[in-house]
Amino acid sequence: MGAFLVRKAAVTEWIRSLAREQPLFFPQPVGRSGFRFQPLREGSEVRFDHYRPSVVPPGRQLTPAGEVLFRYRTGEGGVPGFESVLDASPRILAGVRPCDLRGIYLMDRVNREGRDDPHYLTRRANTAIIACDCLAPCDDFCFCETVGSLRWREGADLFLTSVDGDFLVEALTPLGESLLPGTGFARCEDVAGLRARAEEVRVRPFGRHFALSPERIAAILPGLWRSPVWENCGQRCLSCGSCNLVCPTCYCFDIQDDFDISDPSSGDRRRNWDGCLLPNFAEVAGGHNFRPQPSARQRHRVKRKFEYLVGRLAEGSFCVGCGRCGRQCTVGIDIFDIVSELVAVAEPPP
Amino acid sequence: MIPNFTTPDVAAPGVAASGVFVPETACSRELYLPQAARLLEVEALTARESRFKVELPRPLGHRPGQFVMLSAPGIGEAPISISCGPRDDAILEMVIRRVGTLTRFLHELEPGQWVGVRGPFGSGFDLGDFYGRDLLFVVGGLGMVPMRSLIQAVMATPDRFGKVTLISGWRTPADELFRAEVQSWSRLGEGSGRVRVIRLVDDTAKLPWDGGVGLVTEPIADLDLDPERTVAALCGPPVMYKFVILELVARGLAPSRIFVDLERRMRCGVGKCGHCQINHLYCCQDGPVFRLDRVAHLPEALP
Repeated sequence: MGAFLVRKAAVTEWIRSLAREQPLFFPQPVGRSGFRFQPLREGSEVRFDHYRPSVVPPGRQLTPAGEVLFRYRTGEGGVPGFESVLDASPRILAGVRPCDLRGIYLMDRVNREGRDDPHYLTRRANTAIIACDCLAPCDDFCFCETVGSLRWREGADLFLTSVDGDFLVEALTPLGESLLPGTGFARCEDVAGLRARAEEVRVRPFGRHFALSPERIAAILPGLWRSPVWENCGQRCLSCGSCNLVCPTCYCFDIQDDFDISDPSSGDRRRNWDGCLLPNFAEVAGGHNFRPQPSARQRHRVKRKFEYLVGRLAEGSFCVGCGRCGRQCTVGIDIFDIVSELVAVAEPPP
Repeated sequence: MIPNFTTPDVAAPGVAASGVFVPETACSRELYLPQAARLLEVEALTARESRFKVELPRPLGHRPGQFVMLSAPGIGEAPISISCGPRDDAILEMVIRRVGTLTRFLHELEPGQWVGVRGPFGSGFDLGDFYGRDLLFVVGGLGMVPMRSLIQAVMATPDRFGKVTLISGWRTPADELFRAEVQSWSRLGEGSGRVRVIRLVDDTAKLPWDGGVGLVTEPIADLDLDPERTVAALCGPPVMYKFVILELVARGLAPSRIFVDLERRMRCGVGKCGHCQINHLYCCQDGPVFRLDRVAHLPEALP
């Protein structure tokens, strides 16, 4: 695969030209402080170096809220017919940070576990990802290095690294290669040297760090089922589910039907984002709730990111360290703090 | 049978102007797609529960203890236990309690109308675990519904099993399900003494009642039970399991000989939606039937 050293202005022009050919989602400032992945339009700013993580992670483009699973229509004799709806339209996600790339990679694993999810995988197969390295933590919430996301590259089709004001542009897949301009990018021979140069200037240590590795955290969590840490954060939690909605590896959903009010014999079935912090998430018909307290739901969230899915899919951590849940929490609950407290309880510093 | 709307071709895979995108993945597109099933019978069993018999386009091929996702287009979808034993035809039986929007809607349907069915899903019971053993079934209320699929399979070839004991518990006599069928099982064992049925209610509610009064845990201590020969299967309300298991373990039954059929909220049935998790397990994929020694250590399994 090719690697190129390209001037920043040329990268900007290239991204703009890609956006003219198919929807290209790029993080853009909205409101006073947030960023959002939205289609790049003529005149939109293309900057790779100044954004905090988008409020909603880019991977959510692959499971849009309210996505239609199938349409139904009641035919002759009241027999319902069903038509699956798959979105195979091409799109590009550009400016994806390593933590979010890792999140998308983990969602690829989840949607291939057991039975393939055709809706996710069809959209994913038609999505090209242009990722971009981070040389400095986005803000004080970041802890991507400690959970193994900072140097993540798998899942990207093209990978951009800022080197002394220019960009090292690496094609990682044939799809990525096909998105490069025919001419104009100077081939780069010394990729290793340029990557070493970027590594040199990368901030160290990068963001916050746990005292233990993800593997050790997964190992201590089963013994902490009754830790007072859960109750402490449960008492503050408002069960709003914001942490779920902004997490790159939260994918739980609910399914609802929607009918055409002017023709109730037809309509569709959709899935919507759901969250395990919402009070009725584990409630069954008849009213029994298997996680009635916020503390039980917080415990479930943390164990899912650091223990359950980690074991199920043999991955280091399902938390990618983007810091979004802590940033968004209305009462300041930060998953980094919860895990740090648990680690301190299990293995107190000498 | 199915009208025009079923199998359109997928929109052509996207081809980007600047390059060739990967075509649509080869996976089945039908993960969430129901098949249309015709309602043959709706029979009220109690004030709240009715038995639904539907006909599918082809046999479901289910195992006892499995479930389907049943839906009414425009209303919604819910996991429903299969209440009949394995069968060769395309008929499916379910018992549904009127409890929410979808089930209220279903109760209004009449024979000849249509529903959607996906499945079967879940682990179910493996009859291989029961052959040659004495069997003890303990059910509470609606737990009888999935358990019936297993008991029917057992009663189809009773000679392949040892003694069969069924303990069923109901709130009142008016809540009992399948009374005639349970009595027919009981008669099957008459003379040989191989089938014993203990029917209990919490409260007779001043109704005629020919069974006992009490909790399903109570008869266990006095059962003629050989723990080395016995396999138990449990299904009932969440509160039931812990106490029945205590009694069974007190009688020397190993957790590897106890099967529990657990209920959780499910939205997809295929291990994707996240609702039915029991710690790291998915009730819809790894369960809903679990061997007790495989879940007893999980704090969320039997709260």
